[in-house]
Amino acid sequence: MSTPAIAREPRSGPTIYEPSLMTVVDLVDETVDTRTLRLEFKDEGLRESFAFKAGQFGEYSAFGAGESTFCIASPPTRAGALECTFKTVGKVTSALRELDVGDTMGFRGPYGNWFPVDDWRGKNVLFVAGGIGLAPVRCVIWNVLDRRDEFGDVTIVYGARSVGDLVYRRELEEWAGRADVTMVTTVDPGGETPEWDGRVGFVPTVLGEVAPASKDAVAVVCGPPIMIKFSFPVLDGLGFADDDVFTTLEMRMKCGVGKCGRCNIGQVYVCKDGPVFSATELKALPPEY
Amino acid sequence: MSAARQTAAAAPVFLAEGELEALVAELAAAGAEVIGATGAAPASPAAAAAGNERGGPSLDYRVLPPGVAPRLLAGMPRLSLKGFFLPQAEALFGWRQHGADVEIERGAAATRPRVALGVKPCDAAALEIVDQVMNWDYADEPWNERRAATTVFTLACAVEDSSCFCAAVGLAPDATRGADGLLTRVTGGWLVETTTEKGAAVVAAHAERFAAAPPALVDEGAESRRAARERVAANLEIDAGSVRDWIAAHFDDPLLAALGVRCHGCGACASVCPTCHCFDIVDETEGVGRGTRRRQWDTCQTGKFTLHASGHNPRDDQHARFRQRVNHKFSIYPLRFGEVLCTGCGRCSRECHAGQDLVEILAAIDVAARRPETAAVGAADGGEA
Amino acid sequence: MTEPHDAAVDAPEVATGAPGTARPAAPDRYPETGARDETGDLHGVAREVLTKGDVGVVIGWEEGRRGVRPAFVTAADDVERLVFDTRCVHNLVTYLNPRRAQIAALGRAAVVVKGCDAKAAAGLLREAQLRRDQVVLIGVRCGGVLEVADLDEPAALTPETVSPRCFRCDNREPHLVDYLVGEPQEEPPRPPQTVDERVAALDELPAAERWEFWTEQFSRCVRCYACRQVCPLCVCERCVADKSVPQWIDSASHPRGNLSWNLTRALHLAGRCVECGECERACPSGLPLTLLNRKLAQTVRHRFGYVAGDDPEVPAPVGDYRLDDTEEFIR
Repeated sequence: MSTPAIAREPRSGPTIYEPSLMTVVDLVDETVDTRTLRLEFKDEGLRESFAFKAGQFGEYSAFGAGESTFCIASPPTRAGALECTFKTVGKVTSALRELDVGDTMGFRGPYGNWFPVDDWRGKNVLFVAGGIGLAPVRCVIWNVLDRRDEFGDVTIVYGARSVGDLVYRRELEEWAGRADVTMVTTVDPGGETPEWDGRVGFVPTVLGEVAPASKDAVAVVCGPPIMIKFSFPVLDGLGFADDDVFTTLEMRMKCGVGKCGRCNIGQVYVCKDGPVFSATELKALPPEY
Repeated sequence: MSAARQTAAAAPVFLAEGELEALVAELAAAGAEVIGATGAAPASPAAAAAGNERGGPSLDYRVLPPGVAPRLLAGMPRLSLKGFFLPQAEALFGWRQHGADVEIERGAAATRPRVALGVKPCDAAALEIVDQVMNWDYADEPWNERRAATTVFTLACAVEDSSCFCAAVGLAPDATRGADGLLTRVTGGWLVETTTEKGAAVVAAHAERFAAAPPALVDEGAESRRAARERVAANLEIDAGSVRDWIAAHFDDPLLAALGVRCHGCGACASVCPTCHCFDIVDETEGVGRGTRRRQWDTCQTGKFTLHASGHNPRDDQHARFRQRVNHKFSIYPLRFGEVLCTGCGRCSRECHAGQDLVEILAAIDVAARRPETAAVGAADGGEA
Repeated sequence: MTEPHDAAVDAPEVATGAPGTARPAAPDRYPETGARDETGDLHGVAREVLTKGDVGVVIGWEEGRRGVRPAFVTAADDVERLVFDTRCVHNLVTYLNPRRAQIAALGRAAVVVKGCDAKAAAGLLREAQLRRDQVVLIGVRCGGVLEVADLDEPAALTPETVSPRCFRCDNREPHLVDYLVGEPQEEPPRPPQTVDERVAALDELPAAERWEFWTEQFSRCVRCYACRQVCPLCVCERCVADKSVPQWIDSASHPRGNLSWNLTRALHLAGRCVECGECERACPSGLPLTLLNRKLAQTVRHRFGYVAGDDPEVPAPVGDYRLDDTEEFIR
């Protein structure tokens, strides 16, 4: 054997790449291909001490398939358990979908930066989300709603391709039922069912119709790239400054700790400088996302 | 890291040719793995008979088997020293399924102390440069452990050929970055100067092998190092700062976009590069209910590197990927970590099957950065570099 | 399961098409392209195709700082950059991969091809990866090339310097071309060991030793996929090695994955490989990939009477069937 470029045996010490073990305590099928898992740390100490901020993500392991990157979809105000929501698109997500309540998976995190929620105190908060993009936004929504007094008006504009693609249905209803939240739900034209009583129209269009005021307001936007692309000009037109518009970037990631190089765009490592970016920061990046 | 323990270069001592084998034997006897550049013995008579080591076995850094001395002579090992710190495939941990439970299994592998003799200064400097990314915020334990366990003695380089350009990126054929000591070839043996406590400790532990360095040989060594520095400076001269800033400000410039037209995206450049460190993490099952999670070398040059699960690929053609390579090494990493992610070893240019030439590319960008009125039109049209 | 070693495999007069039929003489077999235009020289032809307006780029070779390298000439004034000599090892047909959008954007391509390269073009045509009207082929008369491209001056071919794959080449004046340029060349010299002799040396070993040889070779594979990227016939939109659902081939560079990758690629090239040797040249670990490809080419020849040639009309065993095929299911 010439060059010893293969280390067959793992080393004896822990590494930053070793996940914590989690038990699946609940699962909810949001749509035909989207599922939410509720996880608890097996280690009691971690269960007590684990803390994170809204917007951060983790690397979730399906042992045998690998790791996948999802935001932490539950709010930091409700600790003890973590939630993640994912669409089945590949090897790891398919394996995660095979898991049942009681099974074990892995978690590394929290990684990345977070929404500057504390800076928004006293301001009106607008949430714009599409499809599964509601998952990271939901975390911030609950974070804000759990601290409702600290913020002004809360407006949520959420849409999906069709009624069947809407996620977090129970929560959509809950938010719609709250007097201190303006909840607007829409589906794309052609996505409505006969019983549908929400709006019909693309999210950016409906956003323009709802036209929330931009004075003393911030916006959180997340969804498919095309939705974000068309929402930004609408927000701009409503008078939102780029510094007050925030999004979370979905990028291919692996290590989550700024080493493997995969998420590097321009001078930014999305796993460390993001995934939360203001529109100002996003527009400064090369168009490689 | 070595930088923290750097000492002023100690006065040189002399290692006679005849003492090298004995030194290696002593180091091994003391429990260290000795790493040096050697050719490989053909694996089998079949390999030799089939002429399948055409041109001679390749020079590579290897853990020396007993009785084999490193080649402390000119010659560029095919791969860099990187694999000894970031192996091309490395087990991170194992797991075992027990019903609904999973047990994570660590191994028993401990990192043995290692002494690397006769390393290229460009390969050693790369280690210190990659230390930055391996330790910003989170510390990569496997990398750091191997760094701590290894004492690196470089060999002042005579400059391989016109593809070397360490001087252009702030290094030199006798640079001591990332090294614990420097050897310089002189008549009858080598001068040895240690630059860290670690290096000094190794010399002290084997003091019998070293003698005082005669002044004439010290002069000889200094002169050969000076001449080498001159030779390599002549290969390429750029203002790395201007290059860095030009790339950052000209992302869409046709010059950058044209760089990838010849490139096949094969990644051979990344595999031979001492500073390329991107990796992938994969799970591999071994039977039912058990397996290993590994990390392995990866490269931004493959189409898959930035492919999203949705099918969207932000870098979907080779020009975007090659631009990322140049950008990351000469602009992004310097802006983020203050270091060029390249040590000018020239392997990528020598290895590139399609004739991509970093000396030419850097010269073209340097021209564009410093004298825009005579800038090259684009590498696809031949350029003017 | 060793194929009997057949010395006649070296011979250029190999059968193509159905067993028993010899190759008809060129150029009548290429009605689509008409007769080759043999009147011009490389620069003249390149200038002509660029100025006529229907070719956007001539892909050939030029001198760089390190010997010769692929060149992309888009302006008629630049054709003097093009060279052809013993250093022109590269198979430029790789640049015709339909996935190379940046090159496709330069316009219709004219590619300078040696005989082996022309066979690769035939492969792409045969497999409908390319339409004949999408490319202009400029053939060069070739007497063999070196193993390396990065010499400052072209070197003469000697038994030691010539690339072993050139020996007994059957396509030194490529047929599937629109133009043929260059002076007639001598036959390439015989290397000290031909590729067939090296394959035979391995065949003669007991299986256990042969296994050990290949395991040791593959242990050096770093899974960079240079072999795949430089191969003109590796054009799959999604390579089997890149698929993760399921993970057909382990991606880590350890023995199991490396063996799987290298054998799978060799098998996927069986009957398709034109033995241009680029994979072996590109491999940073120096794996002797041409031996694997040669072995499989011999097997395909013995079993199907087929050798990959530069006539795209002759169907390959993979991708075609005949009613007299030996497999049961066809009857």
